[in-house]
Amino acid sequence: MAEIRLETLAHRYSPGGTYALKPLDMIWRSGGTYALLGPSGCGKSTMLNIISGLIRPSEGRVLFDGQDVTAFDTGRRRIAQVFQVPVIYRSMTVGQNLGFPLVCQGVPAAHRRKRVEAIAERLGLTGALNRPANALTADQKQLVSLGRGLVRDDVAAILLDEPLTVIDPQQKFELRRILKEINAEFGVTMVLVTHDQTEAMTFAEEVIVMNTGEVVQAGSPRDLFERPLTRHVGSFIGAPAMNFLPATAQGGAAVVPGTGLSMPLPEGAGSALSLGFRPEHARLATADAILSGTVTRLWFEGLDEIIAIRHPAGEIRLRAPAGTGLVPGDTAGIALDPGRLRLYLDDRLMA
Amino acid sequence: MLSLSDLTLTESGVPHLAGISLAFRPGLTTLLGRTGAGKTTLLRAIAGLAQPTGQIRFNGEDWSRLAPWQRPVAMVTQQFINYPHLNVLDNLAFPLMRRGEAKAAARETARDMLGRVGLSQMASRRPSELSGGQQQRVAIARALVKGAPILLLDEPFVNLDYNLREGMREELSALLQASGTTVIYASTDPREALRMGDQVVLMAEGRALQSGAPRAVFAAPETLDAARVVNDPPVNLLGAAVSDTTLVLDHLGPAPRDLLPPLPPGRYTLALRAEDIRQGGSLMTRVALTEVSGSETVTHLDAGGQPLVMLERQVAEHALGSSLVVTPDFKAALIYGPDGRLIAKGGRNG
Amino acid sequence: MKTLYLALKYLAVTLWSAFVIFPFLWMLSTSFKTSNAVTGGATWLPWAQFEPSLAGWKSLFGGAGGINIVKPYINSVIVTGSASVIALVLGTLAAYGLSRFTFRAGPLRNGDITFFFISQRIMPPIVLAIPFFLMLRWLGLLDSLAGLILVYVAALMPIAVWVMVDFFNTIPRALDEMAWMDGCTPVTTFFRVILPNVLPGLVVAGMFCLIFGWNDFFFAFTLTFTETQLLPVSIVALNSSVTPWWSLSAAAIVSVAPLAVLAFVVERFLAKGGLAGAVR
Repeated sequence: MAEIRLETLAHRYSPGGTYALKPLDMIWRSGGTYALLGPSGCGKSTMLNIISGLIRPSEGRVLFDGQDVTAFDTGRRRIAQVFQVPVIYRSMTVGQNLGFPLVCQGVPAAHRRKRVEAIAERLGLTGALNRPANALTADQKQLVSLGRGLVRDDVAAILLDEPLTVIDPQQKFELRRILKEINAEFGVTMVLVTHDQTEAMTFAEEVIVMNTGEVVQAGSPRDLFERPLTRHVGSFIGAPAMNFLPATAQGGAAVVPGTGLSMPLPEGAGSALSLGFRPEHARLATADAILSGTVTRLWFEGLDEIIAIRHPAGEIRLRAPAGTGLVPGDTAGIALDPGRLRLYLDDRLMA
Repeated sequence: MLSLSDLTLTESGVPHLAGISLAFRPGLTTLLGRTGAGKTTLLRAIAGLAQPTGQIRFNGEDWSRLAPWQRPVAMVTQQFINYPHLNVLDNLAFPLMRRGEAKAAARETARDMLGRVGLSQMASRRPSELSGGQQQRVAIARALVKGAPILLLDEPFVNLDYNLREGMREELSALLQASGTTVIYASTDPREALRMGDQVVLMAEGRALQSGAPRAVFAAPETLDAARVVNDPPVNLLGAAVSDTTLVLDHLGPAPRDLLPPLPPGRYTLALRAEDIRQGGSLMTRVALTEVSGSETVTHLDAGGQPLVMLERQVAEHALGSSLVVTPDFKAALIYGPDGRLIAKGGRNG
Repeated sequence: MKTLYLALKYLAVTLWSAFVIFPFLWMLSTSFKTSNAVTGGATWLPWAQFEPSLAGWKSLFGGAGGINIVKPYINSVIVTGSASVIALVLGTLAAYGLSRFTFRAGPLRNGDITFFFISQRIMPPIVLAIPFFLMLRWLGLLDSLAGLILVYVAALMPIAVWVMVDFFNTIPRALDEMAWMDGCTPVTTFFRVILPNVLPGLVVAGMFCLIFGWNDFFFAFTLTFTETQLLPVSIVALNSSVTPWWSLSAAAIVSVAPLAVLAFVVERFLAKGGLAGAVR
């Protein structure tokens, strides 16, 4: 329920040291869902800790709804936080766990009970209210952690620090659904920190890709997938990674030798060219194939198959619905909508 | 061949293993099941760290009385465990030296293995000085260097960053190719399990539900439990009452009888994969959640109390709470009887 | 603001250091004084303020008005050293067992057994003095080194167990299991894998044993008569109607020296990274 604004925010752990977080400006709208995505040590946790108030930034300001909260400690920021490992009071029941923040605030018992019951119902924990919290499964414990944040009615934002790592894939769906419903219902701003691109892409309306303390690209999941600004983002997002093939300049076009892959080359663009496309955007073809090669490996993933094809220009991977019938050694051709091809110069997107 | 017969282990009333009989051949077998399905206990039983009743035989030899240190087994767990007091090189040389190899020879072999996992530069570091991914690579290298005929991997990559995980999977396959090792790999991720295994074993509640080649197991899960375990996104389960002339779906109401093959009257459950729910048609649903991941969209729908999951191979934006008409492709349904066993198969995937 | 804070910090550290170091300096200067210099008011600088004398030191080695502390000193080294080593070995083994295996004695579990060990130190030593005296008399070990060692092992082992159980508990069982997978039997696992990783614990427990053993006066006093005297007892024996501050100071320095040196060495070892490399 708050807009979060980061103004020329940066952080160094020691004065004059290297930036753990390089200067950045960012506005997160009230009620939005955002994901900070990157490998460990990329600065995403530093950023989250600055927002929650655990770290005081060395430069810049943090504003909630226009109010400067940079100097506020965590308690005054009305932030709920869910961590990688569920944090619960083991000695208490589920209900006591959920009500504890209100006990700390001195909320009267009657009102407290009403809030706890409402939140428990929302999270599907009603039946477990009187059970010891310690006896819950990992995903339920995570719900209790979340519920403890939601129980205060003045929550500005929910920060989620890799909350799904310990949860089985099938149960992740449930938890993600509950998170989204809560986001829609309460209009609370949510920020997820994760190293798992699938999690980031499925959760957030805007994903902020970070690497070595820097925001590499911020955009909708679709943008990141279809127009990665750097080759790094192309490789980091998507499984398998984006295909990149070295290209040469030939008569005003960037061409991958030995293939039909070609894109018009803007004026003055020089060396280190490459053309990239997504494994999901290519399809198997015979007649209109723009390149063909030998199938080297196949991975069956249930609904999909991933096919590795060797071509003199490099290895290409392709995701296709299962049941292609290909085996290693076969020759396979691929076709590609030219609109899906991307041109990179020195690892940066040109067109 | 590693064969297990009737392994059972119950601890304080909880059945960790409930009569598991399986045979593992050289190659990679994945154990697929949720947390608590008994995968870890099964691996620990093979290693001798858990003591179930029943029998474990390897190439005909009875292992029941062998202590863990007498079994030719290597194991890698979720946590990156290495010897803290030894440097990386000696971590790898240690098991070889315990086996009686001379220090110099053991270090030589260790150095070679370090090169293969790309950690030659780190030989003289302590494990605590490495990153998580590197520590886990050391743990894996230490397991591999022994050349044990049986390698047990318990979700070895789960604590690693996503892209590192992808890389490590391929690295591991490459290292193990044609080694003749029997590898058993526990995973909670259906895609990973199907992708990596030559064989896959589905597990739930301490039981082995089904085993076989990934394609075969995925195409025809023998039980409802197996269908639940093997599918990601989740499989759609629709209850149905069938008589000679009518077909009534639990929440969706009457449907043409000829959607399904001839079946004796009774209650059935239809299992439909997420990709077998398609947009368009006549079934009114409400959008509960949409998840776009690059090129695919998974949408959770509510059809009058019947939850449905739909997979589209494109980016589609369905607003939360909006209405959507879909068609379940009943021809692709797997039909399960009242006892939860598969009795008829839809047309797809032959 | 920052400078002021820094200045205050240094001031505090300086005051505290002076507070700690002062008794030692006082002891050192007193040990070179004579009766007159001690009673003649506070003086600090030798030669300038008082005439240094070696009388105090000489009295420790059978000089005038003193007793020879060489033999009690050696006795103390033998008793403390061997009792500490034995307590450490037994205590470490017991602690490993308590940390790794589940024991049940009626309603008692591992935690209770560990507490039982520590409870030995809860009672005031005087409670134990009479039983110890009777037992040693029955064994014919009163006033002997062996008897003292026996009693000190009993007194020091709880410390070793207590410290080591905690250290073993910080080492995950998964490390033991991994060593088994690598072909180590439980015995080799203990010596080749677990022990190297609790080295800091051994050092800490050893230090505690040495300090407690070395400084004990009570058992040394009650369980010996004339044959086997330990250092603390003979230092007290220096006392007479006129307190010989000079020889007491010299004796105190001699008695503190080995522990001080040891603490210094151990501190270096721990700082150098004897603790490095824990499991994730």
